Amino acid sequence: MRRGAALLLAAAGLLSSGCATREPAPAAVVSEARLQQTVLPGQTTRAQLLAALGDGPAIRFDSGAEVRLFHVPESVGAYREFVVLLDPNGIVAKTRKGALVTPPR
Amino acid sequence: MARPNVQASARAIVSADSRHSTSHAGGDKPRGTSHLPGPALFFGPARYFGMARMFGHARLLAPSIGLPAALATCLSLSTVPAHAQTAEPMPKVVIARVKDPVDKSYRAMIKGMDRFERERALAPQASLRFRLWPRLPNASLDGVTLRVAGDTLTLPVTIGADYSFVLPRSEQALREDAAVLANRKTASLTWRAWVQTPGLPPGARRLGDLRLECRVGMDARLISNSAPLFGWLSNMLANTEETCTSPQGNYLFFAERPIFGVTLRDGARREALPFKLLYASGEQTPQSLPFCDCQVLLDRSYYAPLWDRSWSDDTVLEFEYMDLPAAALKAAP
Repeated sequence: MRRGAALLLAAAGLLSSGCATREPAPAAVVSEARLQQTVLPGQTTRAQLLAALGDGPAIRFDSGAEVRLFHVPESVGAYREFVVLLDPNGIVAKTRKGALVTPPR
Repeated sequence: MARPNVQASARAIVSADSRHSTSHAGGDKPRGTSHLPGPALFFGPARYFGMARMFGHARLLAPSIGLPAALATCLSLSTVPAHAQTAEPMPKVVIARVKDPVDKSYRAMIKGMDRFERERALAPQASLRFRLWPRLPNASLDGVTLRVAGDTLTLPVTIGADYSFVLPRSEQALREDAAVLANRKTASLTWRAWVQTPGLPPGARRLGDLRLECRVGMDARLISNSAPLFGWLSNMLANTEETCTSPQGNYLFFAERPIFGVTLRDGARREALPFKLLYASGEQTPQSLPFCDCQVLLDRSYYAPLWDRSWSDDTVLEFEYMDLPAAALKAAP
């Protein structure tokens, strides 16, 4: 019984370790005016984006496409998500405003 | 039948080809019955969790008889007069089929179907199908076939152009604890329930449908988030109610195309799904991704707010897709 329980716990440990993930980096806070000036679909490159707005949460997919997240202040302690899609060539393809969020401190 | 080679790594993929190839049914004696005199022997399905995958599958033969004795008996049987052979019914020796621990259980999938019937209130107008998705890089669904395979029973399953199917009900398949097998490595596929209310805008999903999908999918043990070696443990530890009603449930859904955004619409209320509910929360690493059944579907994956009852079952999820031009995808280095 003890051996069975130990085996189960060990297996559960291996199971959970195989699912180790990372905590996303905090999003850069950028004003909406700055975003409108800087992020131009079809024109702005990744390098230009990072130089102007800084690094933050980003996901690169197998297709080569990439999404990046920024936060736009909307009210005290609350931010509107701003998501940028880059195509596999590193050019901004489209942008969207997203959810209103309260990031953890 | 050749014993399949099994890699001892956590990502071992047992070839099921030898068990479900067309030659298997005809030429592999361990499946089916053979007639031997003496007491009837029946072996239920053998389960070699983990260990079988490491050391190879073993076919159950009639161990208490022994091959030489069995052979001698078979030879002597041929000399028994016909009237003596027909005097008593011949006992059967049923050789059990050894299951791959990552096979989809017919019983579990029927359990999922039963859940659908019990909780139809979540999606009163909906129908239930199951759907196949690729699980591994380079996995293709083209030409995929499915069958329900028991010890003595085989039922074909018709797959639609969208790789969805309805699972037929069979009492015999239940009795034989059948498996639902594809004509390719089990670990190359991931499975989902698909509850669909008719009349929605193209591509849109209804939250009540998704709530029911989670319950059906969990009961049917469809999720393949873990290394195959521990898939059985994952299924054993998973709790349908907790997964489908908790913010930490982490039940992933897949959209038809790569997602850029999702909007929830419930009457006059409209809100965008937070970024953290897309793409498996953006938390996957190259090391963890192989253990997620979103491995090759990360850009289509999302969590729905199943737990948040402030969104009614009639909430519609509308998708904005990446829809990058083909030229941009092809031109990329």
